[in-house]
Amino acid sequence: MKVKMISRNPDNYVRETKLQQHKIPRNYDPALHPLEGPREYVRALNATKLDRVFAKPFVCNLSGHRDGVACFGKHPKMLSTLATGAYDGEVRIWDLANRCSVRSFVAHDGFVRGIAYARNAEHFYTVGDDKTIKVWSSQAPEVGEDEEPVNTILSRHILQGISHNRKDNSFATCGEVCAIWDAKHNDPIKTLKWGVDTLHSISYNPVETNVLACCASDRSIILYDQREAQPLRKVVLTMKSNKLAWNPMEAFNFTVANEDCNLYTFDTRKLQTPLKVHFDHVSAVTDVDYAPTGKEFVSSSYDKTVRIYHAHQSHSRDIYHTKRMQHVVCVAWSLDNRYIFSGSDEMNIRMWKANASEKLGVVRPRERANFNYQEALKEKYAAHPQIKRIARHRQVPRHVLNAQRKMRSVKDKELVKEANVRKHSKKGTVPFVSEKRKHVIRQDV
Amino acid sequence: MSDDEEQYNPKSHKKLLQAISNLGNVQHIRKSTRDERQLQQDEFQLVKRNNTSEHAARAVGVSDLVQILRTSKHVETGKKLKNVHSSKKVLEKPLEKPAADRIKRKIGYEGVKKKLGRWDAIVAKQRSAETQIFPIPSDTIYINTAAHVKNLKGRIKSDLAKQLEASDQKLKELRKAQIGDTTDEKALAKQERELLQKKLTRDELFARRKELAYLKMRESQKSAKARMQNKIKSKKYHKLQKRQKILEQIKEFEQMQKTNPEAALEKLNALEKSRVLERASLRHKNTGTWAKNLQVRAKYDKDVRKDLAEQLSVSRQLTEKKIESDSEDEQMIKVETEASAPTDPFNPWTKGKTAKKVESQADSEDPNWRKYWTERNANEKLLAEHQADLETVKEEKQQEKPTKKQKTKSIKKKKANVTVENGWVVEEVKSSAKGQTIDDIFEKHEEDLRQKLSKKLEKLKKQAEILKQPKTKAKPLKKKRDELKNLKDLSFKKTKQRIEIDEPLNQEEEQVKPSLDVLNKLTSTEEAAAEPSADSAIDPNKVTTITVKQKMRDSDVMNDALADDEEADYDETDAAAERQLTISQAFEDDDIIADFNKDKTKESEIKNAEIQLAMPGWGSWAGAGISQEVMNRRNKRLLLKLAAPEKRRDENRDNLYINETTNKQARAHMVSSIPFPFKSLADYEASIRAPIGRNFVPETAFRMMTRPAVITRKGQVIEPMDESELLKPDRRLRHVVDRRIDRLPVKEKAKIK
Repeated sequence: MKVKMISRNPDNYVRETKLQQHKIPRNYDPALHPLEGPREYVRALNATKLDRVFAKPFVCNLSGHRDGVACFGKHPKMLSTLATGAYDGEVRIWDLANRCSVRSFVAHDGFVRGIAYARNAEHFYTVGDDKTIKVWSSQAPEVGEDEEPVNTILSRHILQGISHNRKDNSFATCGEVCAIWDAKHNDPIKTLKWGVDTLHSISYNPVETNVLACCASDRSIILYDQREAQPLRKVVLTMKSNKLAWNPMEAFNFTVANEDCNLYTFDTRKLQTPLKVHFDHVSAVTDVDYAPTGKEFVSSSYDKTVRIYHAHQSHSRDIYHTKRMQHVVCVAWSLDNRYIFSGSDEMNIRMWKANASEKLGVVRPRERANFNYQEALKEKYAAHPQIKRIARHRQVPRHVLNAQRKMRSVKDKELVKEANVRKHSKKGTVPFVSEKRKHVIRQDV
Repeated sequence: MSDDEEQYNPKSHKKLLQAISNLGNVQHIRKSTRDERQLQQDEFQLVKRNNTSEHAARAVGVSDLVQILRTSKHVETGKKLKNVHSSKKVLEKPLEKPAADRIKRKIGYEGVKKKLGRWDAIVAKQRSAETQIFPIPSDTIYINTAAHVKNLKGRIKSDLAKQLEASDQKLKELRKAQIGDTTDEKALAKQERELLQKKLTRDELFARRKELAYLKMRESQKSAKARMQNKIKSKKYHKLQKRQKILEQIKEFEQMQKTNPEAALEKLNALEKSRVLERASLRHKNTGTWAKNLQVRAKYDKDVRKDLAEQLSVSRQLTEKKIESDSEDEQMIKVETEASAPTDPFNPWTKGKTAKKVESQADSEDPNWRKYWTERNANEKLLAEHQADLETVKEEKQQEKPTKKQKTKSIKKKKANVTVENGWVVEEVKSSAKGQTIDDIFEKHEEDLRQKLSKKLEKLKKQAEILKQPKTKAKPLKKKRDELKNLKDLSFKKTKQRIEIDEPLNQEEEQVKPSLDVLNKLTSTEEAAAEPSADSAIDPNKVTTITVKQKMRDSDVMNDALADDEEADYDETDAAAERQLTISQAFEDDDIIADFNKDKTKESEIKNAEIQLAMPGWGSWAGAGISQEVMNRRNKRLLLKLAAPEKRRDENRDNLYINETTNKQARAHMVSSIPFPFKSLADYEASIRAPIGRNFVPETAFRMMTRPAVITRKGQVIEPMDESELLKPDRRLRHVVDRRIDRLPVKEKAKIK
């Protein structure tokens, strides 16, 4: 009987060093690869399908609040910490890594309207409906000690929001007036007024830190400079803006979440027309937050969904929703560009992946290379109909679908009507107005 | 005196009265004292000023000051003050509050705008970057800490070291004792300094300092002046300066002639030599940077060519001068021999001669510039003549052309208004045409090209004027400044175009058709009129029509860009259309339909084909030709008869072509429109055609091409853009791939991207 011995030369398969790659004999002559195009296409198709298969963005749910979640405060240095305020005045500090709340205390009577961490993250400020600004230490108190604010400032005016300067110790509150405060004084350094009842959202520019902007109840957005004695400018939109977020990488761009289901991205230097109108929500947009890369932003809406947009595109790239999530009130993008937090009416805080199909955990270099290749392929063949169809298909709640249909039919009707009017009137009397120009009413100097 | 009277006390009565009168003046509200800094005064804490009482302090006025000064010894100051007070105008009343506020707001906004504008460049760079890395990598600063390291003081010394030290010390002491030298250099320096300080008195020190300051000032003045002078770009200034220098030199020279004739002679020689050197040098050839630049441009610009030619002719003149002086006769002969040869006004070598021919030799004494100008004028005249000649040639040719093609060219003829000249002139040109060389043909074509160019230029100029006009008209109406112009100007063209799909997510299986339909309906009526009528010749290969998607987009920028392109391409498209027209005219006789049918039948050409499968020599092992019969039988057996070809679906239809090779299933996978950032089909196809996979391209290329657009690191906080970014020099590339890309030559880079 003949026995065939399997013999292998270890030189052929054992690496000499850890980093050594196997040599792959390969001929790159394109003549030898006549089907490279189709092969790559199939790979792209598969990658897109897998992308949708693995698209499970929901990470976890943080429950503990006993009333709807009103606002978020992002810790500027620690990624695993998040402060949240609720309608009942409770503030909770969350340890995101362990998905549990570390501290919880009642900070205000009534709503907590805003939370902002100080520059060095040693303290954080909360404002509430009780007209107080409270300063809290970031360190939890010792065991047995009560939670007590480091400082409590009584404000003369109603407070609706707070924002902290990124570079110095000043912070700003809004309410009846826009007030600039210093950390060391109990009276505002400056109050800026421009004949508006209520300012309900305020935001410091993270890059050009003297500039800040407010959303006012008279449907306007007001720009301020911390150093000036007067506000700078006011733009009035067709409907009220709920929140404002500055682009952290492009100092002059900001986005507002508007009551009319749209978001508007403006350039501070050219306020008469927005740079982009972001559609797709079917109900009032309640909050918006930029990704730290400044490339994308996330918005939450009263229609119980969270949408992610490219900063320069008018339609969303993704939509997140769950059956149990009610009206989303606040939203935040984590500072490492990986996660999105959404707080909603039904007392829960949800954590989502910013990239729905991203793999969590350790990614080895070869895996990384493969992911990159898949991404590149998806991008290359993005315009192919099948790939586009698969990549952009989303299942949405029935009510969103219905609302969308309704909105579309309304829009179509308007279009038809406008066309008819144009057809039957004298040439030039009915001008074409671009979508961008429709929403800005005027600019006050 | 009654009791009442007795009781009346005038003092107390007065006091009482005063108390009563003071009742209204007493203020119960105190002036507020602030313990926190605050800008706004509370209205409840406003206090009335106590002007009525005599004891209250009154503000000090200018007149009071003057009064006081008059009494004191500062009388003049008092006068001055009074004068100032009387002569200066009173400030205008400030603006009303709303107006003033508005102005303030405007100024503030402008300031913020300006501040924000600083970020334009960085934002533009970031947007066009192929890959962005977050957090933005900060430069690491390396500090050489070794220089500042101090030795540990409490160092343990070995015995040997101790011994050595002791011996050293001993040696020093010995030296001191013997020679009295102090090798301690520090001590020496100190001594010297002390000595110097002792020597100088206070006045001396002052004087020295003054002198030093003066010197320094002079130096800085001079350097500033020199710098300024270096910066002056005015030609006039330099000309003047040069002239001054020359004048000075001449003066010097004249003086020298008087005083020291030998030296003057030497100088004259030197001057002459430098002139000769300059002449011999290649300075006036076409090798300088100026000339080289011109050469590049010469292809497109007539004037430049002329300049170049002039330059060459000058150089030739300069170099030839010596020969000229030796033998004029020879030259004359040469000129005579060459006179008959065809001449080109742009050829400097021939032109020089013709110019000379035109000029009389008597002019040779003229200064150079004079010669140059006469020559130039002559050249221009020549050029005009030459052009006229060429036109006549063209005319001649057109007349010669057979009548068949006259129809097509008739339009052109009308355009060209050619002056018909006498018969004999035509004859002469003809003869030269007979002896035409390749050069002449080229020349003619060049001439044509030139004319075309000039025409195009004129057209462009007209267009530019048209473009300019409405702007100037619109300006007074509305001053619209684009605030984002700087950002737009700074933005680069993206090196790697990534497809952007800005569409709503498809949430239902049924597509978002209805809205599109409406739009289509709306637009179709307008487009129908604009669309050109279908061509008679349809390319059967182009089954799908591909549309540029950008048309539907309403982004202003895009439209602007497209509009610009259209304007730019206007001429080219015109020309292309013309060309196509001529081509179609040229192939008028060809039968397109026949060709079309031929295409159709091409595939079914192998009709009833039989394939012989027998191989020569196979089966005839014993040699060839043993038995013809067997061979025949075998051949018959091995003859493969093909089945009759399938009928084409469009066989009986003459003007129909059904492409049967296309796959219906594949249709669903094909792109029907060019995606957004791409503007041409070719670009998009190129981007799709290039493979990026490991199996098809080398590993490094694979890594480069699959680099993601945004790279972030896990667990790192991404800080917003920082001000330090504004001042940053180019970052040193960390990543291996980045570095390798950076090192590539530009061409290779373009290939990758």
